[in-house]
This record gives sequence, structure tokens and C-alpha cells, in this order.
Amino acid sequence: MIGIIEQIKDAVVSRKRKEIEGLVKVAIDEKVDLNAIINDGLIEAMDIVGKKFGSGEIYVPEMLVSAITMKEGLAIIKPLLQGDASQHKGTILMGTVKGDLHDIGKNLVIMMLEGAGFKVIDLGIDLSVEKVVEKVREIKPDVLGLSALLTTTMPAMQNVIDMIREQGLRESVKIMVGGAPLDSRFADKIGADGYGKDASEAVQLARKLIGVN
Amino acid sequence: MKSTPYNLVMSALYKGKKGERPPVANPTSIVCQDLMDAANVSFPHAHTDANAMAELALAGHEVIGFDSVMPEYSVHQEAAALGCEVDWGSRDRMPDSRNFPYENFSEIRIPGDLLEKPSMRVVLDALSIVRRHVGGKAAVIGKVMGPWTLAYHLAGTQNFLLQVGLGENEMINRMLRQLMPVTIAFAKAQFAAGADIVVLADHATGNLVGAYHYEELLLPIHKEMTAEIEGPLILHVCGNCSDRLELFADAGFDGYHFEWQVDSRTAVEKVGHRLALVGNINNSQVLFQGTPEDVRKQVRYAIEAGVDIIAPECAIPLTTPLENLKTIVQAAHEGY
Repeated sequence: MIGIIEQIKDAVVSRKRKEIEGLVKVAIDEKVDLNAIINDGLIEAMDIVGKKFGSGEIYVPEMLVSAITMKEGLAIIKPLLQGDASQHKGTILMGTVKGDLHDIGKNLVIMMLEGAGFKVIDLGIDLSVEKVVEKVREIKPDVLGLSALLTTTMPAMQNVIDMIREQGLRESVKIMVGGAPLDSRFADKIGADGYGKDASEAVQLARKLIGVN
Repeated sequence: MKSTPYNLVMSALYKGKKGERPPVANPTSIVCQDLMDAANVSFPHAHTDANAMAELALAGHEVIGFDSVMPEYSVHQEAAALGCEVDWGSRDRMPDSRNFPYENFSEIRIPGDLLEKPSMRVVLDALSIVRRHVGGKAAVIGKVMGPWTLAYHLAGTQNFLLQVGLGENEMINRMLRQLMPVTIAFAKAQFAAGADIVVLADHATGNLVGAYHYEELLLPIHKEMTAEIEGPLILHVCGNCSDRLELFADAGFDGYHFEWQVDSRTAVEKVGHRLALVGNINNSQVLFQGTPEDVRKQVRYAIEAGVDIIAPECAIPLTTPLENLKTIVQAAHEGY
């Protein structure tokens, strides 16, 4: 018989959304280590999903269903974890820059980052430069993630980074950027610390920037 | 054939006689801040006032030298008419919708006076004005959103794609079929108002959805629309669509407007004999961030590959330098 963790992993990868709640409850009843359910089940599943997306085997519709399945599984386990708040791997502030209401990419990245154990604060969409800077000052995140889907809104990313620098906050926060029209050259040019081409790469990048696994 | 802008574009669209040089067209917006300054017309005024809209469009032909004139800069004209609250943006920000009135996939109410809604009427009036100015000289291009894009606006992109992922095909199909008449009516009205060509943008974007999604959910609808709309249609779909070019040709479009991510040689090889290829100068790396020499290289590459009509790949960033746009034209004027 396939182990329960394998079944949980398969439910996320194969988008068996209706089964996830029952499977996670079985695992909890069987006293499986909660961190193992998260790391070896849910997170590993999303790593597989991220790779399938990267290779063009699946697309955003399938990835959204997997991410929601993962999130629903995670929601059952989270309240049971002791000292949850202190256990996260780092704080990440995420937002879509001014003039860009397209937030699917950002939402997928957030779901993946949360699954991977980070505390994520979603600033939402269509953010003004001032708002982002104010939140960086207030929350002091380890990483700021900025997203833009449209080429027409790429210049706004530059404005955010410039202002963070002008305000003397640049040394205290790592900045990662992503979105369909971007590439690592653009990320370098505007002075970001890194670029992720998809949600799975964003997780790897966040791990690298914060120095955790 | 005389190598006038109009003749060059129309002949290239039907893969007819080649003139002295390849035509340069703009199926999507080429408005940048420099062009607004040159035309003395700015966003958001140019989205909502027919004269301003037409004037800015004409500047693309008169100031930059494009062979076509396309007076629709946003993708939200239909959405506004169907009940989305549209923020028309500003000089440095493109318009966007603020709400999703059909998040629950309920029956879509199409207004009886759809074409008279201000956001629709403005485009029709601008096309007529443009036509009076450059009809027969430059190709007049209109633009409509297909039902897939309209569904993003009305239901929310993520919500819509999630339902696709959940396999709610019946619900998806119902929404697309309710929206199809909007696209058809607007396209026909644009031809009647003076468009020579209409661009049909439908964002079954590569990297977002797969060729299998397009084939199953949208191709049958595109086939019906191309049969129903008689005038020349250019399909615009962003992203890397190398895996679905043949499907676009099967759908019956006369042209396909494509991005740099699709290699022009691949595109020509796969479907160049079936439809006109329009594109594919890269926006973010080349037009926005690159030098005129980078632009020239891409234009020459596209021409040598056999792209029929040279164009930026998609709506350009608003801070794109005018010089880079002029370089597209200059590089095409070097001839075949």
C-alpha cells in the first residue's frame, strides 16, 4: 500500500482537490509527523508541480488547482503546529506594482512561498511607490517581492527600488522581481537582488536570499 | 503595385505582390509618452474622446512613419460597456478594470445599445475620423477583444483560469458563447466605421494556458467567429505560442500577430503559407531597454525570416523611446 504521505503528494500533483482533506486527516490520525506531511507531502508536491509548469507539461489552470489543493491541506495542519508563528523561515512582503492589476503570478508565488514555510504578507495590487516603501519600513521584511505582468508597467518596478534606495532602506531588505515580461537582465538593471521566472524559481530564490532550505 | 503604405499592408496581409519594402504596422498600441508629447494629446483623454483618440493614432503614421493607423490603446473598451468599472489611467499608466461583475459566472446581460456605450462609440467614431484623414493611404486598423479575454475581465483572470483547471468546461463554454456576439458585433461595426483590418485579441496566452486548452475550449468559437466576420482579421495572442500556430491557422484568421518568444523562422516555417505573420519586435528587452541598433537587428532578422508585416510584439511600455520606434520604420525602409 502506498504511504499516506505519497498519497497526499499525489493528491496535490494530480489535482485531487476533493481528496486532500480526508487524506491529511488520516495522516494526522495516524500520528504522522506534521512537518513531514508539510515538507515531504505538500511542499515536495508543489516542487513537482513547479517543474511540470516549467517544462510546459501543465499550465496556470492546473497549477492553480494544485496550489489550492496544497493550501487546503496546509490549512488543516497549521493550527496543530506548536509555536507556529516563530517557526517560519522568514518574512516576505509581496505586491504587484502600480498600474498592474494582474496578480495571478503573484498569487501563485505567495501560495508556493507559504507552502514552503515562509510568512508572506500580501500587499495586493496596483501599489503606489509610497505604499510599498512605507510597508517595507513598517514590516521590515527579509525579502520584498515585486511582480509585473505587463511590459507597460515594468518601469514602475524601477521607481519602487529607486525610492527604497533613496530612503536608505535598500541595505535592510532583499528584493526579488518576477513577471512575464521580465528577465534577469532587467532585474540587474533596476538593481534587484534576483529574478524568478516562475513560482517554483521564486521559492528557490527566496530560500537563497534568506539563506534557508 | 504602387508601394504606398495602404497597398503594402493589405498586399502583405494576403501574401500578394511584394512592394519595394516590407510594411510596418501596429496591431496593438504604439503610444508612448514621447508620442503623446509630439501629438499634444495625452492619456487618459485619448481613451475617451474620439478626436483625441484619432489624433494620437494619426501621429503614429505621421510622426513615426508606421504604414497603419490604429486608434484603440486599451483592452477595456468592451469590458467598460459590459459593466466593468474601468480606471482609464493616466499619462504614465494604462487603463485597468476595478471589478469583476460576473465572478459567479451568472448570465451576462449584453446591453441592447452595446455599440452606443461611450467606450464603444468612441472607437467607432475615431475609426471614422482616421478613415477620413488617411483612407486609402494608410491601412486603418481596428481592434476587438475575443471572448476569452472578455471572460478574464468579467470573471477575473485567476477565477476564470481556476474554473478551466477544475474542468468546468460547460460553464466556461457558456460564458464564451454569451460573449462571442459582443466581439462579432464590435468587429463588424468597426469595419462599417472605416477599418480596413480588425485585430482580434484573445489572450489564450502561451505560458498561461496550453495549446490543448485552446484547441478544446476556444478553437471552435474562433472558427465560428472568423466565418461570421467577413473582413480581414489578425489574431493577437501573447506569449510563446509556437505550439499552437497551426491551430490559429485552422481557426481561419488572415494574420497572426506574434511575440518575439516565437522565433520568426519557426513561425514562417510552420504557418507562413497559411496566414500572414505580423510581428515580432521584442518590447521589454529591445524597444524599451535596447538601442536603435538592437531594434534594427531584430527587424532585419524578422524580414529575412519572412515575416510579412513588421510590428512591435504587443502594446509597448509607455516610456519606450520614440527613436526606437522610428528605427523599426527605418530598418524596414531598407527593403527586403
